[in-house]
Amino acid sequence: METIKKIIGKTNIARIRLIYLFHRKYKNIWKTLIFSIQSIFNFYTPSKKLLKGEQIRKVFNKAKINIDTNNHFIYTLDVFKIVPRENRMIDNLTIDYSKVIHNSLINLKKDNLKITSGKFKDSQEQLILGIEEYINRICDKITKSTRKDKKKLINYFQNIKTKEATSFEEALQRILFFNQLIWQSGLCLNGLGRLDKILDKLYKQDIKEKNLTVEKAKKLIKDFIETLHQNFWFKSNSLLGDTGQIIILGGLEPNGKYFYNDLTYLFIEVLHDLSLPDPKILLRVAKNIPKDLMEVSLKCIQTGIGCPLFSNDDVIIPKLIDYGYDKKDAYNYATSACWEPFIPGKSFDQNNIDSIVYMEPFLKMIDSIELDNVETFEQFLETYIQFLQDYILEYIEKINSIEWEESPLLSLFTENCNKNAKDIAYGGAKYNHYGFTSVSLSNVVNSLYNIKHFVFDKKTYQLSQINTLRQNNYFENENIIIDLKKQPIRYGTDSKEIIELTNTITKKVNDILNNHVNKLGGKFKFGLSAPSYITKSMHVAASFDGRKNDDPFGVHISSDKASVAYTELIQFASKLDYSSSRFNGNVIDFMITPSFIENNFDKMVNFLILSISLGFFQMQMNVTSSDTLIKAKANPKQYENLIVRVWGFSAYFNDLPENYKNLLIERALKNEGKSI
Amino acid sequence: MKVRVSNIQRFSLHDGPGIRTTIFLKGCNLNCPWCANPENKSYNFTEYYNQNTKEKGIFGKDYTCDELFNEIMKDYDYYTLDNGGVTFSGGEPLLQIKAMLPLLKKLKEKKINICFETALQVQTELIQEAVDYVNEWIIDMKILDADECKNILNGDIELYFKNLDFLKYKNITIDIFRIPFSNEYTLKDNNIELLIKALKKYNYKNVEIFKIHNLALSKYQSIGIEPEELTEVSDEMLEKVYKIFKISGINVKIINI
Repeated sequence: METIKKIIGKTNIARIRLIYLFHRKYKNIWKTLIFSIQSIFNFYTPSKKLLKGEQIRKVFNKAKINIDTNNHFIYTLDVFKIVPRENRMIDNLTIDYSKVIHNSLINLKKDNLKITSGKFKDSQEQLILGIEEYINRICDKITKSTRKDKKKLINYFQNIKTKEATSFEEALQRILFFNQLIWQSGLCLNGLGRLDKILDKLYKQDIKEKNLTVEKAKKLIKDFIETLHQNFWFKSNSLLGDTGQIIILGGLEPNGKYFYNDLTYLFIEVLHDLSLPDPKILLRVAKNIPKDLMEVSLKCIQTGIGCPLFSNDDVIIPKLIDYGYDKKDAYNYATSACWEPFIPGKSFDQNNIDSIVYMEPFLKMIDSIELDNVETFEQFLETYIQFLQDYILEYIEKINSIEWEESPLLSLFTENCNKNAKDIAYGGAKYNHYGFTSVSLSNVVNSLYNIKHFVFDKKTYQLSQINTLRQNNYFENENIIIDLKKQPIRYGTDSKEIIELTNTITKKVNDILNNHVNKLGGKFKFGLSAPSYITKSMHVAASFDGRKNDDPFGVHISSDKASVAYTELIQFASKLDYSSSRFNGNVIDFMITPSFIENNFDKMVNFLILSISLGFFQMQMNVTSSDTLIKAKANPKQYENLIVRVWGFSAYFNDLPENYKNLLIERALKNEGKSI
Repeated sequence: MKVRVSNIQRFSLHDGPGIRTTIFLKGCNLNCPWCANPENKSYNFTEYYNQNTKEKGIFGKDYTCDELFNEIMKDYDYYTLDNGGVTFSGGEPLLQIKAMLPLLKKLKEKKINICFETALQVQTELIQEAVDYVNEWIIDMKILDADECKNILNGDIELYFKNLDFLKYKNITIDIFRIPFSNEYTLKDNNIELLIKALKKYNYKNVEIFKIHNLALSKYQSIGIEPEELTEVSDEMLEKVYKIFKISGINVKIINI
């Protein structure tokens, strides 16, 4: 794959991808082709020999500006103008937007002048000039437009050059402008950060000075969200909906108080009212969260849009501090596109660098060793751990060979890049960690426990005998699959043995990772949830948990047991060890029917509050029923607006590939006790 | 002595206040045609085979009180808000009360809210054993005509009222009277009259009415019993009964089970 990419060239891949994205938009091959041909002269890519800042400047100069008179805010992306790329793009980051609101290009220039000469300085200079020219062009276009609020808008844009944003509305426009620049510069999965916190000061000031009412603020937030959603088809990554546009709300403060304000509620309420799959919200929660905020959140979740996702500060922040983030930074964490913590404006942290596929070394071991010579389960487990170690070590080597594409724009807003005169791609940031996600850990834990139970404890089967059946994909042996799937002690149940087994495996990975540094001098970390439970399971043989050839792996922290009690799953997840490097996103994922929440709303709120105290790490809910999903699959037109949660994002059900739809249906059936 | 249980359901939200664990006990002295838990009718272990999922196994497992206590304690943290706790259902849970006493004692020591969901047509001595431990009573009201109760349910309505009188004498307020409605059995004019009359006589907090579904069909089939086919009560009809109850001054609500 990498060789093909090299031959075609990453820029050409970006161009081809764009045509694929048009198809997403038009959902018709002919319309896509006609549009692509018509647009052929709109394509533009500057020379890759130029400095990166210069490349971006040229793209900004060429970008077509569209002043939409129907939209409250100005947001003008030109998808045809592509910054060339030769290396892997940095993704999944959010700049610190408070640095955007409370700053100006003059200040950025001043900072740039402090750098001694060099490529980094020149590149940054070119970028700042590019931004300045872009602002001028936008102002020209606004002047020539029919908009009635010209004066105000021009003021907002000119202010970017010289001073801080002075009102709530101006701050929103400024965030949108820089967000647009980030997308235009070719970065993807771009988050929005802690918007309630970032906008707190200006919002309160405007309310106090009676320049703003809560209703007006809500309307502005609605316009803001709709503006961000506009280019859904373009911003989505591998699946439609995976834009990474995550808004972080709420959060624990170093003094122990829980931070929230009107905006926390307003953002959630707007998402509730709009019922869009994107942008999405992650709510940082803690024991002392107000009950009514949980109620508003649950009402939003109840619509089925899949958010807010809950991230438990009581558990997460101490882990971040323990890992080495400064206390102040840890309390200000945001997350990558899904849920992996990092420090906005200070982290390079590439938290979705790749997935550890626990099943790979497991099946490799099964194919390599003499199964009948294994005498005890302990010996078997030890052998797996050895194979896992070899796998991880190989992985580290592979990952350390990645070269990153420079990003002067991220560097401009990332602490220490200027001080170090080094682009974020070369380790200029304060934190430079690499984060793995995990997939198929549940399948391995269940396979291991099944082998312990049926082979070593009960002696129902011999290991080689069961392996032969597995190699034949359990063909004509459905009864064995039932045994393997119904064995009640499994991942997601709060059995001590399962918790110990899971922690033993993650401890090993933790120990290995802690002994290595990445090529930028940062550390490694990993978490137990991953987006790749379908893609990484393709072409993977059947396993001892009853999974057949190519069947999807387990989803995040969930149970494959039918109708598992939510409390049991939370108890399990809360007892897993997330210490040291194990904090890179650990999400419990459960299916729940809309009627269940509706009939038990107050008890569900209590359940969530008690679960925070119990110590889950993160949690998301997919609110849907098997009945709805089955009907939507059969009659897509009648369910055009049906939204579901996929891995860490929400999407329209009918936009998903068939295998994703099928997995959701199967999980919903299990949740409702209609399937084993 | 061990307690025979068919199922332990954690995160149970419909059987009493707060978040609960419901323990379903084997064995029942009644024979309601609409029973939603037919696997609990017999105290004996009940084999099952589900033709759809090809699962087979046995309903029923004997637990010591300590084992059950440990199971209940797993979700202890969730019981702390709004009087969450444990509910004993069935079957008829009071039939195993003697075996359960050490467990009830331990739960009471831990201040865990205890609820019994019972048809209350058992010997009064069994209720006397339970009464000091129970915080919440959910009591079924079914067919109140003495002959029909005997013939259809194998019940004893005199005993039922004697037991209700006993609870009244002990100053106990019934938390929920639960009434299942089926066109064929309980939704008869004379029965509704009797229900209202009875409800006026006793102290209670809530009356919950619901319509019977044929949801347990596959469970019946898996244990080799052919269930009686019952027609489902219409929403309009249930609403009508709701209004009749309301007019009679009864604090009633419709629930979906």
